[in-house]
Amino acid sequence: MKKLLLLSGCLFGAWNVSAQVILKVTGEVTTPLQLQASDLKALPHTEVKAVDKDQKEHHYSGIPLIELLKKAGVTIGGQLRGENLVKYALVRATDGYEVLFALPELDPEFSTRTIVLADAVDGTALPTGVGPYRIVVPGEKKPARWIREVREIEIRFAK
Amino acid sequence: MLRWLILLSSAVVLAFTLRNDTPYTLPIPASFGHRYTIPADNPMTLEGVALGRFLFYDSLLSKNNTISCSSCHQQNRAFTDGFALSIGVNGRTTARNSMSLANLLWVRHFFWDGHSPTLEDQALIPMAHPDELGLAPEKAARKLQQTAFYPPKFKRAFGTDSITPLLMAKALAQFERTLISAQAPYDQYLRHQYTLTAAEKRGLDLFMRTSDPTKGIRGANCTHCHGGAQFFQNVFHNNGLDASPLDPGRQEVTGFDADFARFRVPTLRNIAVTGPYMHDGRFRTLDEVIDHYSEHVASSRTLSTDLKGPMHLTSSEKKDLIAFLHTLTDTEFLQNPAFSNPFLTQ
Repeated sequence: MKKLLLLSGCLFGAWNVSAQVILKVTGEVTTPLQLQASDLKALPHTEVKAVDKDQKEHHYSGIPLIELLKKAGVTIGGQLRGENLVKYALVRATDGYEVLFALPELDPEFSTRTIVLADAVDGTALPTGVGPYRIVVPGEKKPARWIREVREIEIRFAK
Repeated sequence: MLRWLILLSSAVVLAFTLRNDTPYTLPIPASFGHRYTIPADNPMTLEGVALGRFLFYDSLLSKNNTISCSSCHQQNRAFTDGFALSIGVNGRTTARNSMSLANLLWVRHFFWDGHSPTLEDQALIPMAHPDELGLAPEKAARKLQQTAFYPPKFKRAFGTDSITPLLMAKALAQFERTLISAQAPYDQYLRHQYTLTAAEKRGLDLFMRTSDPTKGIRGANCTHCHGGAQFFQNVFHNNGLDASPLDPGRQEVTGFDADFARFRVPTLRNIAVTGPYMHDGRFRTLDEVIDHYSEHVASSRTLSTDLKGPMHLTSSEKKDLIAFLHTLTDTEFLQNPAFSNPFLTQ
């Protein structure tokens, strides 16, 4: 009986972890998102090459941020004009660290580089303390905006 | 005519004494910036700050009239109390170490686990806690209401002499927002008014730099968490105190496994006078703190990535770091009469 309780406890625990919201997209969006690991896995992925702090080039696999913005109904593409040009994405990590991207930095109609929410590096899932999701900004000389353990993306208007 | 004149001047005096809108201008240091929020329904006023200061120092806010906020937050210790854990109204200790109240204006999550989003929300929690002041805020409000002293002060601050926990919290929050510390020798150094000693300068360099063995650069990278003009970031970290932490810390607030054993990164301003250190006050001295980060960080599943791998600072590097940390002691803040016990200066 004790073993049965233990087993059911473990199963519940496992279910609870897998059902946990991994990433929120909030703020100036038409559809706020609360995404679980399975939702994120199902989103389109791409691969980018970028140089990390170790000065070595790595292959990162992840979701282009623009895909998340599309899903949340952020004003991108044809809508990224006028006052929408003063909108920005505030990306927040588990520890509370925050970095900012202006929307045109994330929109392929403005920018030639693809900023991704990476979940793997060189074919391996990101390690604890870095993943499960990390922003990767190809071509950026200093990786200070490569924010680790991403938990939330909030779209705001500059006021 | 004279009677009218007297009546008019009396009305002016009365209006002045009842006004609650004398704005309090916070002296914001330019380097600290303006990334803070003052709730729209609790603007800073001279009357509100003055009232909050009385409340902060008044033992009426405790169950048996023995302790006040200032018992565990003493000005000469940058509003800490010198104990590993504080002693509450019942003689029992608190669960965690008393935090410094310097520069709370820029803090975005209060308490070691960040469970309060505003100072207004925070203020009533220690009041009600049985191991702190031990008095329900509603009862505290009734006690204050029965005095001759407080109702007129609430009237001046908030336009009503009907005392409520919310108004008490607002006044306390206003006073706490005034506790700005930005006049340490390090600040004077930035203004070219103080020359760092050689040891302090070496300590500053270690504090600010990231170690890069390939270039022969020694660095302790303290700024990663304690960077910026306030010497803290609004972040939560597991800094490797234990291999099997007992206190879940931030996880109790968020429910996230990744937040297990994370605690708020406190300010290092006035750090030389705010020991013992860490959320449980386990380190009595700065030497013990530096030794911890240099050699004794314990690995666990949520240990901060940047603390993995020992630093192995030399004994002279450790001394230099501590010399620098002493330049963050702001004696003007520790002795500012505006922050002192108003019952002693009345």
